[in-house]
Amino acid sequence: MISSMKKRRQGRAKPLVARKQWSVAMCINHWAMAVCIVILIISGLYIGRPLTIGAGETWQKFSMAKVRFIHLIFGFILTALFIWRIYLAFFSRFHADWKDFFAWLDLKSVYHQVKFYMLITTQMPEHTGLYGTLQSAAYGFLLLMVFLVVITGLILYAALYRAGLGGAIYMFSRHLEGVFGGLAGARLIHHILTWGFVLFICVHTYLAFWYDIVSKRGTISSIISGRVFEHSDI
Amino acid sequence: MALDEMFSNQSEELRACYNDLMKRCEVHLDKMHQKLPPPKDRWNEILNSHGVSRRDFLKWCSIMTAALALPPVFTPKVAKAAGMANRLPVVWLNLAECTGCTEALLRTAYPGIDDLILDTLSLEYHETLMAASGYQAEECLSEALEKFAGQFVCVIEGAIPMGLNGKYLTIGAKGKTGYEIAKEVASKAAMVICIGSCSSYGNIQAARPNPTKARGVAEALKISTVNIAGCPPNATNFVGTLLHYLLFGALPALDRLGRPLWAYGKRIHDFCERRPHYDAGEFVEEWGDEYAKRGFCLYKVGCKGPYTYANCSQVRFNQGVSWPVMAGHGCIGCTEPDFWDKMAPLEKPMADHAPLPLAGVEATADEIGLGLTMVTLAGIGAHALGSVFRGVGKEKGGEE
Repeated sequence: MISSMKKRRQGRAKPLVARKQWSVAMCINHWAMAVCIVILIISGLYIGRPLTIGAGETWQKFSMAKVRFIHLIFGFILTALFIWRIYLAFFSRFHADWKDFFAWLDLKSVYHQVKFYMLITTQMPEHTGLYGTLQSAAYGFLLLMVFLVVITGLILYAALYRAGLGGAIYMFSRHLEGVFGGLAGARLIHHILTWGFVLFICVHTYLAFWYDIVSKRGTISSIISGRVFEHSDI
Repeated sequence: MALDEMFSNQSEELRACYNDLMKRCEVHLDKMHQKLPPPKDRWNEILNSHGVSRRDFLKWCSIMTAALALPPVFTPKVAKAAGMANRLPVVWLNLAECTGCTEALLRTAYPGIDDLILDTLSLEYHETLMAASGYQAEECLSEALEKFAGQFVCVIEGAIPMGLNGKYLTIGAKGKTGYEIAKEVASKAAMVICIGSCSSYGNIQAARPNPTKARGVAEALKISTVNIAGCPPNATNFVGTLLHYLLFGALPALDRLGRPLWAYGKRIHDFCERRPHYDAGEFVEEWGDEYAKRGFCLYKVGCKGPYTYANCSQVRFNQGVSWPVMAGHGCIGCTEPDFWDKMAPLEKPMADHAPLPLAGVEATADEIGLGLTMVTLAGIGAHALGSVFRGVGKEKGGEE
């Protein structure tokens, strides 16, 4: 009876096996970036509209400076994580995924993917690379946003801190200021990008859970364990 | 104090650098002394007649030496150069402007030495100040251009309208356009100093929608200029640039926007007296509130000091009496190009800037961001419901 059940099961579905999709480096990079971005959004919005603390003497307080300090520290961590992520995209020993960011060039599958996301079809499009077509565009755009936010952040940082690292950055950033329309322009772009990250987090989190439910491959757990589940022929 | 003594504990390199600079300065001052036309009044007599003692003058010279980032050993040279300033022929053009710069530089309660230098500059042509008018004035200009060709300093105040072939601005009896006049004068000048943000970057004339197509001088004439930006600029920054020219026969180090680095190298915010309140999180919430009375930081009522390169917070205005932030209003960023468009609304923080350059769209970045987030969340909710309704991802019985 047991063997017949096994047979029936085998006939119905191939066994699930775990396949490594993300390297440990990629998982750490993902979560570190997530934590950084959340802290930077909160501290950044605070810096945009800080609270006034009226009570007490000026010398006893340092609230704005402290929030800015946190913002700068995590900004530099994000810069490092961004460089690491770009390195992984090209030189990861497990899977250098830079080509996967261009899946959106296949317009036919973009069309199919849009139909699937719009719930017009229930047929899930198969990924040829690591990311789906729209996913590849979104992640590429995210990296572009991180790049811009890091550059504008460094411009704003180096305009004030002219010694040591700041001074080294300023040698380059003073020429870049004009590209963004001066410090005010850089600051505005920096601020607008913050909302880009808020929107990305909303959509990314939802679609990750949605995909986990729809594909039944363990999408959510994959970015922790590095493994997705697949029906195998073996 | 001798140079060598002063730099005894500095590197050889630095000492050599300043030695070279000193030699260059001496050679150039001698050259200028021979080349420049004789003064109309002797500098010492001017100082005496205005009640400025030699001691006060030398004090001012050491301040200017420090402002120009030169070592104290250069102070006698600065004094010599300042004494020569009234021999330097200057042609001052007033184009599309409000004469506010002239007013700010010349009209002072009791003239300091910067003001004296400005008052006694050998102005060959200045529409606001000259007695001549009409054809007579034109004659003065053409005479000066001929007599001092390649020798005079051209100071331009005001933007150049380029629309209608420059016809938005015509000056003088011959009805020449501002563009023609500026081009002619600038081509014969030893150097062109743009005074004020109008001639530097266009200022309010060039603000959106800029119907006259006003441009800064450098952009309109496609030449490089020294830009003493500000609306109005500080007399010290102008005089310092003139002194630098007299001392070394060269322009001071400029930033990417043509502003002298010694004056526009740091931001307003960096040396602001209200800065400790910024770091402490003490902000004025609205005009005239309790916090304003306590002198808190003006960041939340729109101070643009963090985005503005200028030395107002160090040099101040009107003989160092006050400056905007000290007086209780935030910086409006007047030394930066396009500040009317970029920094507006001037009395709100950057978070309240309307990022869409469309007529009538006044929504701020935060409003748009929050709105889009709400729409996205609603969309997510609708999609989730739709997914359940449609049964996406449900295993179809027996099919697989």
